[in-house]
Order: sequence, then C-alpha cells, then structure tokens
Amino acid sequence: MGTSFRKSKEDIIVDILVWTCSLIVIAATFYPLYFVLIQSFNDGSDAAKAPIYWLPRVFSLENYQLVFKQDLLLTGLKNTLIRTLVGTAATIFVTSMAAYSLQRPNLKLRKVYVSMGAVSMYFSGGLIPLYLVLNSLHLLDTFWVYIVPYLFGFFNCLLFMSFFRNIPEALIESALIDGASEFKIYWTIIIPLSTPVFATVSLFVAVFHWNDYFISSFFITNESLQTLPVILMRLLSLSEAQQEIQRYLGNNGSSVTLESMRYATLIISIAPITILYPFLQRFFVKGMLVGAIKA
Amino acid sequence: MSKPLLTAAPRPSSPKSMKDRLSRPQVSLQLMVLPAVLAMVIFNFLPMLGMMISFKETDMTDGIFGGQWVGFDNFKEIFADDRFWLAMRNTVGMSIIKLVFTFTAPILFALIMNEIRSNAYKKLAQTISTLPHFLSYVIVATLCLIFLDPQGMVNHLLMSLHITKEPIEFMAEAKWFWGLGSALDLWKETGWGAIVFLAAITGVNSEVYEAARIDGAGRLRCIWHINLPAIRSTIMVMLILNIGNLFYGGSNFDQSYLLGNMFNNDRSYTLGYYTLDNGLIQMRYSFAAAADLIISTLSLTLLLAANWTAKKMNGSNIF
Repeated sequence: MGTSFRKSKEDIIVDILVWTCSLIVIAATFYPLYFVLIQSFNDGSDAAKAPIYWLPRVFSLENYQLVFKQDLLLTGLKNTLIRTLVGTAATIFVTSMAAYSLQRPNLKLRKVYVSMGAVSMYFSGGLIPLYLVLNSLHLLDTFWVYIVPYLFGFFNCLLFMSFFRNIPEALIESALIDGASEFKIYWTIIIPLSTPVFATVSLFVAVFHWNDYFISSFFITNESLQTLPVILMRLLSLSEAQQEIQRYLGNNGSSVTLESMRYATLIISIAPITILYPFLQRFFVKGMLVGAIKA
Repeated sequence: MSKPLLTAAPRPSSPKSMKDRLSRPQVSLQLMVLPAVLAMVIFNFLPMLGMMISFKETDMTDGIFGGQWVGFDNFKEIFADDRFWLAMRNTVGMSIIKLVFTFTAPILFALIMNEIRSNAYKKLAQTISTLPHFLSYVIVATLCLIFLDPQGMVNHLLMSLHITKEPIEFMAEAKWFWGLGSALDLWKETGWGAIVFLAAITGVNSEVYEAARIDGAGRLRCIWHINLPAIRSTIMVMLILNIGNLFYGGSNFDQSYLLGNMFNNDRSYTLGYYTLDNGLIQMRYSFAAAADLIISTLSLTLLLAANWTAKKMNGSNIF
C-alpha cells in the first residue's frame, strides 16, 4: 500500500472545517486591532460622521500629534517606559541570579529556599496585608512600589533554573578551578549562554509592567507617577461627559475628537508589544514548554 | 601539571570547621540568592503573617502587627453581608461559565491547529491568535466598549441582519455580563491556552499516525484515539489549576472593575472587587483581609480536593 494516501471525503471535510475555524479565529482576533489602527489614522471629525470599516477615509496624523502634546499622556508614557525598563532589568537580574545559585548543588539551605518559593507560588496573603506592609515600608505613592515588590517571582525562577540545568556542569567546575567566583561565572558564562530564557522571561516581565493598571490605580495617588493604562482608563470614563460638551460647542479649530484621540492612545499602548512579539515568539514558545513541563 | 584541587576536593572524615562550611563560594552563592529570599520574606511571607489582622480591628497606622483582637467578629459580619453573597454568586457563576467555554476552547483550537498542514499559515495563525494574551485588560475593556456600544459595530451588524430591531445595551443590562466576561476571555486567551496542548500533541511520534492510517483510521478517528489521549494529562493539570482558581477567577476582577457599572452591578460585582471596595476604598482593612482569608482558604481547599480527585481517578496530579 505504501505511505501515500489519496484524500478521502473525510479528509476534505476536515480540511474545510479546519480552515474555516482557523480563519474565523484569526479574523476575530485581528480585525478589532486593525479597526483601532485605521480609526487612529483617520481625521477625527470625519470619522464621527459615518462609520469606517476597511481603510482610513481622510488620512491624518493629527490624532497622534495631539496625543504627544498632552502633558497627561506624555507623563504616562514616560512613566510606563521607565517603569518597564527599570522593572524588567531589576527583576531579571534578581531572579536569574537567584536561579543560578539555586541550581548549584552545593548551596546550603537550598531545599528551604525552594520550598519557600513553591509556597509563595500557590498561596498569598492577599491584597490588604500587602498594602499595609507597603505602607509601613513607605513604598506607597513612590516610584519604587512599581519595582521592588515584584523583584522576584518563583515561576520565572523555575524557567531560569530548568534552562541553567542543561548547561554542562563541567563548564562551571573548570571555571571554579581556574579561580573564577560564582558571580563571575554567572555573569560571564551563564548569561551569554542563556539568551532564549532571558528573552522569554524578559518578555513576560516587561509585558506585566507595561500592562499593569492595578498598582498605578491603588498604590499610587500622585498624578505625576501614573502610567499609560491608567491614563487610558481616565480617557475612557471622561469620554462620555466630554463628548456631550463637544457636541454642544461644536468643533472649532482642531478636528481631533476625544474618540479619535482615544484610538491613537490605544495604538501607542498596543504597538510596542505587537512589533516586538513576532521576533520574541520563537524564544518563548520553547521557554514556555520547558516551564509547563516543569510546573 | 596536577595542582591540588582545593575547592573541588572535599577532605573526607575531618570534622567540618565553620570556615569550611562558609567557604568563599558558599558565601557568594548565599549573597546571590539573598535579594530573592528577602523579597519573598517581605512581600510574600510577611503579608501571609499579616492575615492575622482578619481577627483584629486595624487601621492604616497599626500595620500588620498592631490593632485590637476582636475574634471572629469580622467573619460574622461578612457572612451576614448581602453584598458578600452577591459577590460570591457572581464570581462562582462567571467562573463556572468560563470553565465550560474558555477551558474547552483552547483544547479544540489546538486540535484544529494541529490539522493544518501548511507550516507558514500555522505559524501566522499562532502568532495572531496568541497576541491578545499580551494586551492589557484595560485595552480589552476599551475595545469591548467600542464594539458593543449601542452605536457600535456589533449592534450595526445585528441590526442589518435583522437579529434585533433596537440596539442592544450590552453594558447597561445586567443579564449580558457573565456571557460578556467569557467572550472577552475567549478572545484574549484561546490562542495562548492552546500552546500547551499543541506542544503535547506535537510530541506524538509520527509513526503512530502512519500505523493508524494503515489500519484504516480516518483523520477524525486519529484525533479521537491519538491526539486526545496524548493531551489527557495536560488537560487534567489545567483543569485542576482552573478549579483551584474558581473563587479568584483570573480575569473576573479585571472585568468587574473595568466594565462594571451601576446598571450591571447585580451581575458584575465579584469577590475581588468586594475586597478592594471594603479594603482600599472604605479602608476597613481587617474586614477586607478577613474576606480575602475566606476566599483563599476556599481556593486552597478546592485546589487540594480537585488534585486529590484527579489522583484517585487516573494518577495525574500537579504536586
């Protein structure tokens, strides 16, 4: 009989079903984002007249120009950028360094640390005690509340550990014999060999920092420290009221509406991850799998 | 040529001195793990200890160690609170609906993706479908409000297809909220959730399929008899984790907080929001911590029970 088969009726039906379903999923995922994109590049008052579905009708960059003129949004963008960069770098450093140490067999108290991590993964004290702890440490309403409480996560640590475990032990041993310190080995040997896992975990941590609105809403009251998602939320709730006002006053001068500015802000907060994502994807699918098997 | 390897060779039988035990590599290893351990102690274990404020009356200045002991007063008050039971009903209700839809969808999607023969298309589909996982819930909620607006696209579509005459007020009618929550999760997480299952299916040896096809099995029978059993243990693990999460309910809080309003409150008020509302907004810290303690105790019990049941049934468990 051999190994090649003619397509049976069942094969064709399955193929049709598979393609239809996957196309529906792709369209349903992609279109809303595309919709926001075309709205953000369309003239605001024109978009208010009739709905736009496929392509910008009156192309305009004015929405973006206005967004980048608003102090509120600029501060939010700046805070989000700094928070994401500093937060990701610090978390990756603390977590990967701990992971290196934790997978060294001669670390004393290793089992204690690992079980602490496991407990921290499945059980938490909840929001209120954390809030009170942050308050006692005077971290509330400072920039550091974005960074310090999230320096270490055990799940990410597991991802690092399972990757480091595959690095040949002999490499570390011989460096030790040559007189290198553990930190130097971590810094000069382990890090350069572990790009995939660093890329994966960095993506997770960076996405957490970029997207989070909770900390900014509840642990921060100072307006100059707020991040982009919170500004977006405020634009959202303001919009109804503002639109009413705009309708009464008419659009004098700028053709940007609150609506169209909202679209531009949305795109600014979606863009970084959408652009980076396809490049990082090949790393993290692998990284996730290791983690999923381990966890 | 061969120098004595001081660091690598332990001296047998000599009693370990303090200096040996705290050798230089050991000190640097401990220093490397120290920041992480400190972070865990301060931000995970101290709050766990802080759960004892549930049995106290605490204000902001007391911190987690101050306050007056009041026994079970907070718990009694919570159990007598109608809002708590409303939040409980909504959380469990939404979680169960999500367990049915957003748990099975990734499995189906993974099975479908696995049948795609074109690698380029498969990769494209995977990239696009996993992207929403990385978007903030604020963005998802904004998109939801834009599309489900009475003048939005979904209502346009429904009206032009004559499914409804009047635009549906999705956000203002409470009855839509639970379904809406599942739909948003479906949109955001289906592709991402499928990755784990897809990996398990990809692990199946291709000879198994060839053998099955030679024996005359069609593709549907291959899916049923090879692919599904291949992901069975993954399904069980994910199911256990999902059940353990029933009372927190992952995205329940996000949806409740970002999309809840005075009109749909009856269906959108969830346990996460209840804690936040009482704790950080009304500043009844002990009361809210007590509510949190109830929720996490229930969650842990449920997780252990689900794990135990799964172990009894077919030997797969997460611990």
